[in-house]
Amino acid sequence: MTAISAAGRIELRGLSVAFRRKGEDALVALDGVSLQVGNGEIVSLIGPNGCGKSTLLRAIAGLIHPDQGEVLLDDRLIVGPDARIGLVFQEPRLLPWRTVAGNVGYPLDLAGTSRRERDIRVADLLSRVGLTMAAGARPAQLSGGMRQRAALARALALEPEVLLLDEPFSALDALTRERFNVELLELWGRLRTTIIMVTHSIPEAIFLGDRVIVLSSRPGRIVADIPVDLPRPRSVEGLDEAVVSATARSIRAHLDEDAA
Amino acid sequence: MNRRTDVVASIFLLTALAGACVGQPASATPGRTALTVGLGYIPSVQFAPFYLADQAGYYRDAGLEVTFQNKIDPDLVTLVGQGAIDVGLADGTSLIPAVSQGIPVQYIATIYRDFPSIVFAPAAAGINSAIDLKGRKIGIPGRYGSSWVMLQALLDSAGLRPEDVEIVEYPDFGQGAAVAQGAVDAATGFANNEPVQLQLAGIETTILHVDEIVPLPGPGLISGTRTIESKGDAIRAFVRATLRAMGDIVAVPSKGLDAAIVAVPDLGADRAKQGAVLDATIRAWQGSGTGSGSAALGSINEADWAASLAFMAGLGLVAGPVTVDQLVRADLLPR
Amino acid sequence: MRSSAVLTVACAAAFVLLWKAVVVVGGYPAFILPAPESVFARFVTAWADGRMAPHAVATLLEITLGFLIGGALGLVAGYALGKSALVARLISPYLVAAQATPILALAPVLALWFGPGLLGKVVIAALIVFFPIAVSAMVGIRSVDAGLLELGRSLRASPLQVLLTLEIPAALPSIFGGLRIGITLAVVGAVVGEWAGAERGLGVLVNIARGSLFDIPLMFATLATIALIGVALYLAVVLVERRLVRR
Repeated sequence: MTAISAAGRIELRGLSVAFRRKGEDALVALDGVSLQVGNGEIVSLIGPNGCGKSTLLRAIAGLIHPDQGEVLLDDRLIVGPDARIGLVFQEPRLLPWRTVAGNVGYPLDLAGTSRRERDIRVADLLSRVGLTMAAGARPAQLSGGMRQRAALARALALEPEVLLLDEPFSALDALTRERFNVELLELWGRLRTTIIMVTHSIPEAIFLGDRVIVLSSRPGRIVADIPVDLPRPRSVEGLDEAVVSATARSIRAHLDEDAA
Repeated sequence: MNRRTDVVASIFLLTALAGACVGQPASATPGRTALTVGLGYIPSVQFAPFYLADQAGYYRDAGLEVTFQNKIDPDLVTLVGQGAIDVGLADGTSLIPAVSQGIPVQYIATIYRDFPSIVFAPAAAGINSAIDLKGRKIGIPGRYGSSWVMLQALLDSAGLRPEDVEIVEYPDFGQGAAVAQGAVDAATGFANNEPVQLQLAGIETTILHVDEIVPLPGPGLISGTRTIESKGDAIRAFVRATLRAMGDIVAVPSKGLDAAIVAVPDLGADRAKQGAVLDATIRAWQGSGTGSGSAALGSINEADWAASLAFMAGLGLVAGPVTVDQLVRADLLPR
Repeated sequence: MRSSAVLTVACAAAFVLLWKAVVVVGGYPAFILPAPESVFARFVTAWADGRMAPHAVATLLEITLGFLIGGALGLVAGYALGKSALVARLISPYLVAAQATPILALAPVLALWFGPGLLGKVVIAALIVFFPIAVSAMVGIRSVDAGLLELGRSLRASPLQVLLTLEIPAALPSIFGGLRIGITLAVVGAVVGEWAGAERGLGVLVNIARGSLFDIPLMFATLATIALIGVALYLAVVLVERRLVRR
């Protein structure tokens, strides 16, 4: 387990989120979730459909206000969207009328960055995700994978301490997905941002995460916090299959238990 | 896409226009000839001869079945030329340009010997002749039509040009009110309309007539040349009946007033005013110029037409060569 | 691009030939349906001797001002309608009722209130343009992807930034659809407004040519000028659209 140090530390204390609709009973999405994620850690979140994984991510991002509990980033309360947290949604959510460069630079435009500084930063980001050649293209001209890369680059624009990813690769085919997993780890290797990623894929959860958090079905609670005992750097071929199998079995057991 | 839509729309427009132009001939009970007559203005006491002739049975006795169109119709002369309307009412300033543009119409009887379009002003403005208009504000509906031609003739007679006066346009025909309010010094109008109204409101007016300057032909009956060929006898009968009613009204004006009120009950609300308008109208029929008092109702003065033709040609309103014979004919008048 | 230009010219030529055929076959005299060549000749002389220009300028001014004012108000109204369901529910019935009343019926009343000058025509043109642009703006604003709005929220975009960087760009295709319709309607509105009473303008010239001068070729030449102005303005809108809307 990596040491918990200064920036990029996430702490959830007793987080509860319920959705109320007129005339209906409240829908409890998350029930008393408590979690600590250390600086530079990668945590995979996995759980059955409707378990509140996306809600949890949005609560951490400050897009949803919890009914109970708190979210803390470096011991400071998260009360709304924060520049220190970068988001990658399930769909790329690129602005169709901007070029790739324009999209990646969008957060910098909103933050009022000077054009010169923005251009330098965007060039750097594009090269990090391998999209330099596509800088002038429009999203409609790109493949799904390239669009997600652009979304990832955009999420990194404001140099966040924490990166939240909501099933970012689920729309991609398996081969592309595998490649993206490797690239994400390479990126993390250089940036060391804290990463919390929601996924439906057990292999992906294991390959990427230092820990795998298993959520129960609604109302979402943490039912398991499974460490992944694989050394870094990780490569697709060089993984200890025994550890992978054992971890997967453990995860599956908790998922089945919940389903029962 | 837009151009093509334009083209389709234009074809549509043209076809609709062409179609609309083909008029419907009137049909009548057997033994009678049907005539459509366009009066060119809304119901008014000035159409008393027509109302009287209709009510007294003059048209019926002549074997005619007359349908009147009593509304403002900017296309009246064109429709007469086309044959969609058999007889219309129009003056020389409309007829001359129309004939010069190839519209086959002719003037067959004079109704107004005086040109009814006049310039009027409150007496206090001191405008007694055309030269007094210099530098003054004059209200007019617009720089077109009979009032514009008349105004240019008046100014010309005093050696003035439109630039020597200040023309104020009232497209809503509010120039009469403008004179009453003092917004303008003088305005164009009709001899039997605005001055009568001002007089009744207690404002003395001076009136400038164009007749001595250029004998512009006043409104009269017109018909299309083809219509005359096919319905000449019926039209002759119509002219005779109408002129007979006019004569009745000149002799006993109240007959005309009563007939108008029967035809247009709303006029009965103000007999005095309508009576004043009718009196002014009768004066315009008879003419106030020298020698015109002895002329028979309906007769056409070809010399006056020739002078007017020359004047309008000078204004550039005559597109091609036109002769007086093309404009008028007297053979439909009673002998 | 070239083939479309050829097609356009061919279409125009076919139209002219059809017109000529109608005149010849129908035997129409010039005062009912003049032949294309006489209309063209009259068009040339009317511009050359300066008769057409002042009227064209007057009408063009009415169209442009009416379009800009009605369009601006329509965009603002459309934005409000798109963002607030409450506003939409309250205002919509009046908007629809106003739209359903024919401008031809309202024009004389408006001419009475605003007088025969430029103002009345601008009001009429603005009125006729308002509704389609408001609706297109409303639809456009409502079409903004919810996911993009959440993205904006996550990046702490201010309401003004959301408007400028998300809502307006998303709504532009729909808005330009409304603007295309609006510009052609502005032409109609200006001309109809002139028929209700005006000192100068192409609609006035149509009436003068028809009723006072009996110069039907001039009347057609004026109609052609109106059509050309409409086409030119429409193309201008399309050109602006091509520059601003890129996907």
